[in-house]
Amino acid sequence: QAMASNGGGNSNSPYSASSPDVRPSSPLPATNSSPPQSARRASGRLRRGPTSSPSLGGFETPPPPGRRTPSGAGAARQRQNWTGRFPPTPSTPMSTDDVPLSSEAGEEDTPETDGGGVGADATPVFVWGTNISVQDVNAAILRFLRHFRDPRDAGRVDPVMDEGKYMRAIHRILELEGGESLDVDAHDVFDHDPDLYGKMVRYPLEVLAIFDIVLMDLVARMEPLFEKHIQTRIYNLKSSICLRNLNPSDIEKMVSIKGMIIRCSSVIPELKEAVFRCLVCGFYSEPVMVDRGRVTEPHICQKEQCKASNSMTLVHNRCRFADKQIIKLQETPDEIPEGGTPHTVSVLMHDKLVDAGKPGDRVEITGIYRAMSIRIGPSQRTVKSIFKTYIDCLHIKKTDKSRLHIEDSMDTDNTNASKSSEDGHVTDKIDKLKELSKLPDIYDRLTRSLAPNIWELDDVKRGLLCQLFGGNALRLPSGANFRGDINILLVGDPGTSKSQLLQYMHKLSPRGIYTSGRGSSAVGLTAYVAKDPETGETVLESGALVLSDKGVCCIDEFDKMSDNARSMLHEVMEQQTVSIAKAGIIASLNARTSVLACANPSESRYNPRLSVIDNIHLPPTLLSRFDLIYLILDKADEQTDRRLAKHIVSLHFENPEVVEHQVLDLSTLVAYISYSRKYIHPKLSDEAAEELTRGYVAMRQRGNNPGSRKKVITATARQIESLIRLSEALARMRFSEVVGVRDVTEAFRLLEVAMQQSATDHATGTIDMDLIMTGVSSSERQRRDNLVAAIRDLVMEKMQLAGPSMRMAELLEEVRKQSSMEVHQHDVSDKSSFLSTRLIWWPDIYTC
Amino acid sequence: RRESEIHRRRKAERMVGPQYDLVGNPLGAVRATFERAAAAESGGRDPVAAFRSKDWGASEVFRSFLFEQGGLDKVPLLDASNLGLIKPNTLVRFRGMVQDMLGNEFYAGAFKDGSTWRTNKFTDFSPFAMPHPCDSHLWERHLFHCVPVPGQNSWTLESSPGPDLRQMANCLTPEQREKRKRDGDDDAMDVSENGNGGSSSCSKKPKEDDVQIPSSSAEMPASENVPQMNGNDHHIPGSSFSCLVKIYDMPESQVKLNDVAEFIGVYTFDPELAAPNDNSDDIMFDLIEDVTAQLPPSKVPRLHCLVWRKLSSVDFLAKHPAVEPLPSLLKGIRQSLLSHLTLVLGKDDLAANCLLLHLLSRLRTRVDVVTVGRLSLNFTGFNRESVSIFGKQLNTLIQGLMPYSQAIPLSIEYLNTATLQPRKDNKSGRLVTGVLQLPQGAHLTFDETLLQSGSLASKGVENTVLLKNLMESQMVEYDFEYYKLEMATDVQLLTLSEGKSNILPSDLVVPFRASTVSAVNATSEELESWRWYLATVRSLPQSSEPEIYQTIQDEMVSAMRNDRSLGCTELSRWLTMAQITASSFGEKSLSLEHWQMAKELERLRKERMQ
Repeated sequence: QAMASNGGGNSNSPYSASSPDVRPSSPLPATNSSPPQSARRASGRLRRGPTSSPSLGGFETPPPPGRRTPSGAGAARQRQNWTGRFPPTPSTPMSTDDVPLSSEAGEEDTPETDGGGVGADATPVFVWGTNISVQDVNAAILRFLRHFRDPRDAGRVDPVMDEGKYMRAIHRILELEGGESLDVDAHDVFDHDPDLYGKMVRYPLEVLAIFDIVLMDLVARMEPLFEKHIQTRIYNLKSSICLRNLNPSDIEKMVSIKGMIIRCSSVIPELKEAVFRCLVCGFYSEPVMVDRGRVTEPHICQKEQCKASNSMTLVHNRCRFADKQIIKLQETPDEIPEGGTPHTVSVLMHDKLVDAGKPGDRVEITGIYRAMSIRIGPSQRTVKSIFKTYIDCLHIKKTDKSRLHIEDSMDTDNTNASKSSEDGHVTDKIDKLKELSKLPDIYDRLTRSLAPNIWELDDVKRGLLCQLFGGNALRLPSGANFRGDINILLVGDPGTSKSQLLQYMHKLSPRGIYTSGRGSSAVGLTAYVAKDPETGETVLESGALVLSDKGVCCIDEFDKMSDNARSMLHEVMEQQTVSIAKAGIIASLNARTSVLACANPSESRYNPRLSVIDNIHLPPTLLSRFDLIYLILDKADEQTDRRLAKHIVSLHFENPEVVEHQVLDLSTLVAYISYSRKYIHPKLSDEAAEELTRGYVAMRQRGNNPGSRKKVITATARQIESLIRLSEALARMRFSEVVGVRDVTEAFRLLEVAMQQSATDHATGTIDMDLIMTGVSSSERQRRDNLVAAIRDLVMEKMQLAGPSMRMAELLEEVRKQSSMEVHQHDVSDKSSFLSTRLIWWPDIYTC
Repeated sequence: RRESEIHRRRKAERMVGPQYDLVGNPLGAVRATFERAAAAESGGRDPVAAFRSKDWGASEVFRSFLFEQGGLDKVPLLDASNLGLIKPNTLVRFRGMVQDMLGNEFYAGAFKDGSTWRTNKFTDFSPFAMPHPCDSHLWERHLFHCVPVPGQNSWTLESSPGPDLRQMANCLTPEQREKRKRDGDDDAMDVSENGNGGSSSCSKKPKEDDVQIPSSSAEMPASENVPQMNGNDHHIPGSSFSCLVKIYDMPESQVKLNDVAEFIGVYTFDPELAAPNDNSDDIMFDLIEDVTAQLPPSKVPRLHCLVWRKLSSVDFLAKHPAVEPLPSLLKGIRQSLLSHLTLVLGKDDLAANCLLLHLLSRLRTRVDVVTVGRLSLNFTGFNRESVSIFGKQLNTLIQGLMPYSQAIPLSIEYLNTATLQPRKDNKSGRLVTGVLQLPQGAHLTFDETLLQSGSLASKGVENTVLLKNLMESQMVEYDFEYYKLEMATDVQLLTLSEGKSNILPSDLVVPFRASTVSAVNATSEELESWRWYLATVRSLPQSSEPEIYQTIQDEMVSAMRNDRSLGCTELSRWLTMAQITASSFGEKSLSLEHWQMAKELERLRKERMQ
């Protein structure tokens, strides 16, 4: 049953005489610049040692047309080493008819070969210029396809598992009749037969041609009627090359590179077979193969009766075409060295690979690096010195390495990407990240790694970390949405490196948008409608918030933002959409963004005597949408000052390269965050939920000020949502799928740290959410009530004594005398005007 | 044929490097050295394999000729004016900025011609037919698109003039001009045949109209929006002439975008090669088009670089006797420059002092987002009239002092229309330059008095963000369509405005108070010494004794105690000012005295701010 079709039948195909490889010396790399027709020449280069009888029945089936360019410069060089051993007799290349994918031919030619995979013909056949024996490779490939077992399947007990991974894949192709290619993981090849892997990478043209042939044979044996040709697509090489490191020694080798598609050409129909018709008699010619981009037009009509000369014309709709496309691949930003610009390379795609990628996609391409000569002048003789390079694509895989994995729909429209195995390179990286996540001090380490040159503000950094990791967004079947994004507001004195923190976050986050409240018009922050000047079409153009969908939108100078833009933020921060109604289009765009805003206090420096609301002129409704509000205050502290001074001096004098150790570098940090965001979706454990409830209740109870008449609301439902998000983010930092009690405790701590600074009622020292909600704390409210009562009593009394008018100063004096409270003049005038609206008979009070 | 082979080889052997006319026929020397080296290696199976991406001694010959035997002066300097006059395949010099990096190019570097190995290095042509092209080696070289430095001031051109080419061109006889009718191959043969003569070899003079064609005018956005820079349009990269430099034997990372360098190499420029490949029978040629297709050899000269070096501002100075930058000498020049600055600024001493510090500032280090050493300056209190007087004088002076400078009138219209951001055009594969594609050490002056209130279009918003980013972090974002790439720059920024500029937040804001208007002119000797002073001081190394650290830290702490509004940025600026003050006196390390001077300057400035 095991049939390998090496050697055997001398079926000289009728086309062999017209084979292109008539050049005695090996084909000039430069002139073979046309890509297709690989089959005949690839096989043409398979030479039988001393004999010049070339035919190998096994090679009857050609690889797919238009797939690989034959020889090239690199091969040329390898070849010359061998010219001594093999006298340069013209290799009579055995060539084949491309038209019928001749499974029958293979059948009839090879019945006598049998077993073992080694051909009956004992004469070794070598690939031109190498010591690679065709038979050996043939056998090795067959062994691989037959016997390779995925180690990952080993544990499974499954009757279907008797067969190797690739035999199953072949069966699947046959059953579905859909697939026309067999994806072969190069790692599998390496694991099975490192020698074969090495040959494949070094001589891809030859080895892949054999691969295809072996595959065809195998298929023909299993399903003789299977007509389609199956292509081998190798992917996942052991090592991938950086685009800018491609060099002449990679020519004609199999390479794997990563990059971003920046341009795709339109699909080019490439003529494969031409059919001509005689204009005189209407006779249709036999299909004429295209040879190196040239069609030989028959000069004379072949019909006996006609024989008209120069009468043949091409019949387009009877010709056979193949798809071809050229894409430009560019280096991704992370591979570009400082001060460099990205390199690009052209990639040639054939058949099914056409349109497999779109501009903007990040892909990994496995293919053969090739060069071809270009003419630099009209004079043909001055050619041959400069070469153009491109990659003949074998396999394309979309990778999504954008900074914090955002896209999720990438894989669904991708037919070629194999999901069965992970990229080895990436797996290594992931293992490293996982190792990192197991460190006991990972939380502190991450904190240190965030903006390492901005010291202190550790709790602020922890908050920012939470923002980067984010909580889980939740969508209930009822349609209710719970955002997972954490919004943070930083309020602080000038010169406290808020902007630097923002810049850093902007660098770190995906689709990070950095904008300044001062400069952003509605255009900058939201979406606007623009009219195409040429077509007059209305086009929706997105602004910062929409652009930072699933990212972080950093807004500097939040306090300077226009009310209009700010009102837009209300919607963004809770519903996570932006609605636009303009020019007849009403659209709601997703803006699932975390907002990181920073604001200066209204009086340039924070006035600790005033509340947060008074310090930042922001509407309380908007403030309550921030999960964490940090006050970054520049406290007069000799110790901090000294540290700042030392920092500045060291910045100027010392070598600032001294990196604090145990700090993750930027790229690792980004990778860590993106991995976690993509794969870790922690759930609240029961204990954690309990702790959350307990803590929340405690927080609310803490507001029970025994002295106050009314209960102070300390925390609201918004806070419990914040707490959940924060604890989820904290669990994510550890790559933990479960939110533990300690996450909740830390979330409480973070919230409290932030709250203590922002929502402390300066009169009572407790956290007071009323302050955020209304701008007036409950103790303040109580005090005001008392004051009103006092003034009323006083005024009533005075009125009886001195008639219906009195001075403000006197009133103030009186109130101060009577009460122990600290009373400001504006308090009194506030209250008296308040009273005056109530009491019609209120006397005029003159303000002095 | 064989005889001529041997003959040629013997000839080559006789001609050891220096005997060659290295200027007139550099390729002859290259080939001679190659053949000798290959012959020496001939024992091996593959003698030239060792020469891949390394020098076999050719560069050495040129290096010693240029720098040790004073050959540099004999090499003509390529610029727009003599583009068509220089003979192809001769040695030229070109000073320019790397505007775009076009990746690498593979070429058949060495091949076997009969029994002899030949090389194609430093040329795009193969002068020999290649009978067995399989016996060839693919080598690589890097392509850089270079343009005259944007904003380059005219005095820098005088610093190292080449021999007068016009005269050389006039020497050509009519018969010699006739010769260009022959095809390129024969011409190239000539080069090697007449190697040592160099007199009659190819003398192609392109048609005048070809010379004028700008390389990429189509790509340049309307040039009227580009600020007027020192008078002529040289300064807009891509709009005048540019040069495709091919560099060999080095990792690409040695050259960075926007580097200014001098390239010395073999020049080729051939309008006759313009003929398009219309008879191309292979669709592949059209599809895998090269960036270089946009820069046809007929319009953009090629320079196969033999020797190159990066240029700093010191290299633009006229030949100066190497003077030890002694503090005493520098002090004197500092005084004369400062008094001139004071005069130019209408006797405003404070402003002059700040301007001096500004002119001497440079970006020293960069730690993440923090930059150390820059000192952008904002003169406030200007109006349109005073700008027309003092601003003009100031610009003239800066043009005379700095190697590259530009003055940008910042108006709403300018912001809304100008292309500041360099952008990668993925269709053509080239980087389309913007105003902010600048070499390290460039100087920009913004005139903000022209800025009226008005609405900014989205491009205007983008441009202001770019400018602000440049001001704050010395970074310019380049647009690569699918992502942005930040490029580090070191640009000195001066803003003239009515009030403090918020669009361009400078490090140092100084209210400008001129008392007199006086026309001042500096002699060329003075200018020369000031240029030398600025270039020298800026390149002085900075060190400091640790003792001073503590004192400065104490001073900072006490300053903070007195004024709570002082923050990191202010204190950092003080230190920058103190350090520049120190080096302005030629001191290598900061002393307390200079710290006090900086503080005093700051005090005066604060006083004036109120």
